[in-house]
Amino acid sequence: MSDLATSAVRHAGAAAVPDGWQPQIVALVCNWCTYAGADMAGTTRLEYPATVRMVRFPCTGRMSPLMILRAFEQGADGVLVSGCHPGDCHYVQGNLVARRRFTIFRSLMDFLGIDLRRLHFAWVSAAEGHKWARVVKDVSAAVSAAGPLPRPLATDGWEGPVLPAAEGEGPREIPAADSVALRDHLRRTAVELLESGRVGVVIGHRRGSLPGRLVPVMAATAAECRELEWGEGAVNNLVTYAATALKGAEKAALVVKACELHALTGLIREGQIARERLLLVGLQCPGVRPEGGLAAKCLGCSGAPHPACDLLLTPEGVREGGSEAPAAANDDARDRQIAHLESLPADERWLYWQRQFARCLRCYACRAVCPLCYCSTCVADKHRPQWVPTTIDARGNGIWNVIRAMHLAGRCTGCDECARVCPADIRLDLINRKLALEVERQFGAAGLDPGEKAALVDFRMEDPEEFIL
Amino acid sequence: MSRVGVFVCHCGENIARNVKVQEVVDFAHQVPGAAVTEHYPYMCSAPGQQMVIDAIREHGLDRVVIAACSPQLHEPTFRAAAAQAGLNPHLVEMANIREHCSWVHHDPIAASAKACQTVVAAVERVKRAKPLDPIEVPVTKRALVIGGGVAGIRTALDIANSGQPVVLVERQPSLGGNMSRLSETFPTLDCSQCILTPLMVQVSRHPLIELMTYSEVTEVSGYVGNFTVRIKKKARHVRVEDCTACGDCAVVCPSPVSNEFDMGLSTRKAIYIPFPQAVPSSYTLDADRCLNANLQSPTGFRVLACVKCDEACKPKAIDFDMQPEIVERQVGAIIVATGFDLQIGQQAKECGYGVYPDVMDGLEFERMLSASGPTEGEVRRPSDGATPKDVVFIQCVGSRNPKHGVPYCSRICCMYTAKHALLLRHKVPESRAFVFYMDIRAGGKGYEEFVHRAMEEERVMYIRGRVSQVYEEDGKLKVLGVDTLSGKQVEINADMVVLASAMEPTDHGKIAGTLRIAADEHGFLKEAHPKLRPVETLTAGIYLAGAAQAPKDIPDTVAQASAAAAKGMELLSHDALERDPTTAHVNQAACAGCFECLQVCPYGAIERQEVRDRQGNLLRMVAWSNPAMCEGCGLCAVTCRGGFIDIAGYSDDQVFAQLGALGPLPEVLGR
Repeated sequence: MSDLATSAVRHAGAAAVPDGWQPQIVALVCNWCTYAGADMAGTTRLEYPATVRMVRFPCTGRMSPLMILRAFEQGADGVLVSGCHPGDCHYVQGNLVARRRFTIFRSLMDFLGIDLRRLHFAWVSAAEGHKWARVVKDVSAAVSAAGPLPRPLATDGWEGPVLPAAEGEGPREIPAADSVALRDHLRRTAVELLESGRVGVVIGHRRGSLPGRLVPVMAATAAECRELEWGEGAVNNLVTYAATALKGAEKAALVVKACELHALTGLIREGQIARERLLLVGLQCPGVRPEGGLAAKCLGCSGAPHPACDLLLTPEGVREGGSEAPAAANDDARDRQIAHLESLPADERWLYWQRQFARCLRCYACRAVCPLCYCSTCVADKHRPQWVPTTIDARGNGIWNVIRAMHLAGRCTGCDECARVCPADIRLDLINRKLALEVERQFGAAGLDPGEKAALVDFRMEDPEEFIL
Repeated sequence: MSRVGVFVCHCGENIARNVKVQEVVDFAHQVPGAAVTEHYPYMCSAPGQQMVIDAIREHGLDRVVIAACSPQLHEPTFRAAAAQAGLNPHLVEMANIREHCSWVHHDPIAASAKACQTVVAAVERVKRAKPLDPIEVPVTKRALVIGGGVAGIRTALDIANSGQPVVLVERQPSLGGNMSRLSETFPTLDCSQCILTPLMVQVSRHPLIELMTYSEVTEVSGYVGNFTVRIKKKARHVRVEDCTACGDCAVVCPSPVSNEFDMGLSTRKAIYIPFPQAVPSSYTLDADRCLNANLQSPTGFRVLACVKCDEACKPKAIDFDMQPEIVERQVGAIIVATGFDLQIGQQAKECGYGVYPDVMDGLEFERMLSASGPTEGEVRRPSDGATPKDVVFIQCVGSRNPKHGVPYCSRICCMYTAKHALLLRHKVPESRAFVFYMDIRAGGKGYEEFVHRAMEEERVMYIRGRVSQVYEEDGKLKVLGVDTLSGKQVEINADMVVLASAMEPTDHGKIAGTLRIAADEHGFLKEAHPKLRPVETLTAGIYLAGAAQAPKDIPDTVAQASAAAAKGMELLSHDALERDPTTAHVNQAACAGCFECLQVCPYGAIERQEVRDRQGNLLRMVAWSNPAMCEGCGLCAVTCRGGFIDIAGYSDDQVFAQLGALGPLPEVLGR
């Protein structure tokens, strides 16, 4: 039975194509334009291959990546998505929002090594019967060339493309005396904030049970504040705890690294946290070492606290922050690794990601630790309908990881907690970083201003669409 | 388990030629839940429909699939048939095996396989369909007309004459709009004021029209049939009911102001009446230009330095203490008729507009021609008051110019230029009129004849070519152009130059934002469909009339105004409206309150609602979709990451089942 999981079958020797095989293509079409355009092709008695099965929607805006994935999962060799031309949408802007969604989804599919000959997008209007026939012919030819959707092969093992090492200086080392001074300022400031009543709780780190490890703490007493710690063991993204802390206190102080602060942007924009209920405390970060070595996200970072923090701690003392200036731009060490993957042929990329996803246990630790995953129930746990199969195989794992990446596109700000907590060491950070880069490249949106719309909720008439037929 | 009836149509030969109907029927019979499978030559015929009705009743069917032509043709037919049999019409699904199958695939094996799959997918989909009832929305029987020019006036009168109350809001102190500025109208040379003012008076006297002049719409909320509108009535400082329009106040007022009604060619006073036939017939105090503006005593009290107008006013109609007032009205339909301005763009400036006083635009020249204008109808140069002999008219100044102006044609300029040239020749018989044109667009009734009259009777010289430069030399305006028909360069020493500048929508269509309707990049309000729905917008209940939608002349404006009125009357003739029930529903128990759905909704149909506990404490905010405003596009449903929004009639369950049925079939069919 055909599955979503294709494999290295292309370079392992393609499965024999049965005689007279015709591709099965599922077409998601909008009612007002493409469906009517296909009707017109019929009225005009044009002839085209009988490969396409139509699913009618009110608008391309109603078409979710989950539906495309379901079509493949159910055995379609190819999927065609088609709707009204930009500017002509019956619902004004459905296709414009959808266009951005499709752009990112397609680049994600490409990054994961899926053969793009199987996935097509088109604008076909109600008057374009001839175009519909031509599109079906061209898409059928492309899917035919790609062949039947391959069956999965065993993907055990860790071999596969090797990524270049992530390199970078990392933040400057903090002399021991300064570290102590920072920690003391932190403790003193925390006690003062609590005792003055300025905040009801201080979210920070304290010593854990393992040497060198720090764990999150919600310090609600002066005694707890005097146990606060800082340093390279402060790996957790404390923003994840902010919403919970605010349930018990009117205002909370949050000790925050620059890489975590951007997660707040998303939460503020999406109405989950009110900025004025947080007091942000920033200090120089030595870079975190979750497993001994410097984390990949730290390699390109200076460790400087974000200027937007309300209080900035230095070895010398405390000063007010709250600047509007953006943080200094950092090079991301993983961009080299992403570029390497992009340079490989699609099947090798496919092999790489299939090996990664094969290890996924569906423990959902990535979801639990992500500050931006706050839904009361996750779509992955939805039963009616069960868009994301719960099976721990290439099929279920693939769909889970794809939809998670899509949900984070334009929102994820690279704290990498998901990759850190994954017990199977899946490079989730690469996927999220790739989509962040893609959103910026295609739409120019860095997503760092809570007042701006998130990239995938916004649109411009001039959004790119070279891939759309 | 559902009991689905599947009916496969032959459509004569149209389907049966390429699709093996019996095979489809037999195949459908195997699908779980298929209780009845039939076929018939013409399902849409009366006996065909009766077959469906009888089957529903006899076999207790609770779902129906018709495998036939496109639902765009006959979905209403079969839905009505189901309703007749007592089955909810939304429990009927059509499988398109004609336009998408038999008409385009000539291999019977492939066509039949596709037809089988399409039918099975439709059966699986319809099994998850839920009964839906139309949403009933009450209708407030009152219309709002925004704009008191000829379009707004015509619309208001038509609706009020049909017996429905109207609120007409105009932001100038008087009704009339641009048409009241005109001297004569083409092609009849009717005096513009003479044909307009009777209509203006009718509006003011109409018992069903609430006229608010010197007022602006500030906020519109609600949805079709139930709009709430906030209107700001600006402080006129003159009590309209007491003012006799005697004018004694203006005589003594010491504050001269550029007269915008005369396009700046004359001055008025701070207290003024825009033109003698103004409706309402009342003076207005321009509070910003009155000498008392912004005066305050050291202790912060408003001070009156000059009360000359009040002293001169015998009816004592002047009230310096008048405050602006915000009023609210409930209306069911809104017609937007906000009109146009002439745009002085880059090209006009290159022709000397703003540089030389004797270069003017079409409306300025119009005022000059008008008997009640700055020169009492005599054509005089603004610079020295002399009567011009040679006048050059330049068409397409800014229009049809994608690089330096607007790409569109402003439609009225060829005609009013011909009119201007003709009237000039009437008023100054020894004058010479030259018109530089690219094309002559005279498509209306009597228009072509009118232009020929200007050319042949009045000997207006039409030069086909553009003007490259206008500059002053020796007291004359040198106009450098070209005559493309002779191929020669042309130089005219003109006394005056009139530019036919581009028409642009008032305020670049800013009203669109207040109403949440679409406007194009020039600010023209967008119609629902340029050919078939020219006076509606995509927002139910809001209609368009006049130049606000696109450049047009008075006949088309009046026609469109009556059309918009008809649409408004159609809406208001219902006591309740039925809206399509395929709308969005939010699972409020799960909603996390991120409101990305609200940000993508094109119709503003998503609202924030509070969730409170039994003590009344606010727990959180959640989204709610207003079924009266929701059009069912589904953007919200896909945007919602948790999947907490679903669309009735296009639900996740239905799509999931349909996609599931398109997969394994080849195996079952043994192909």
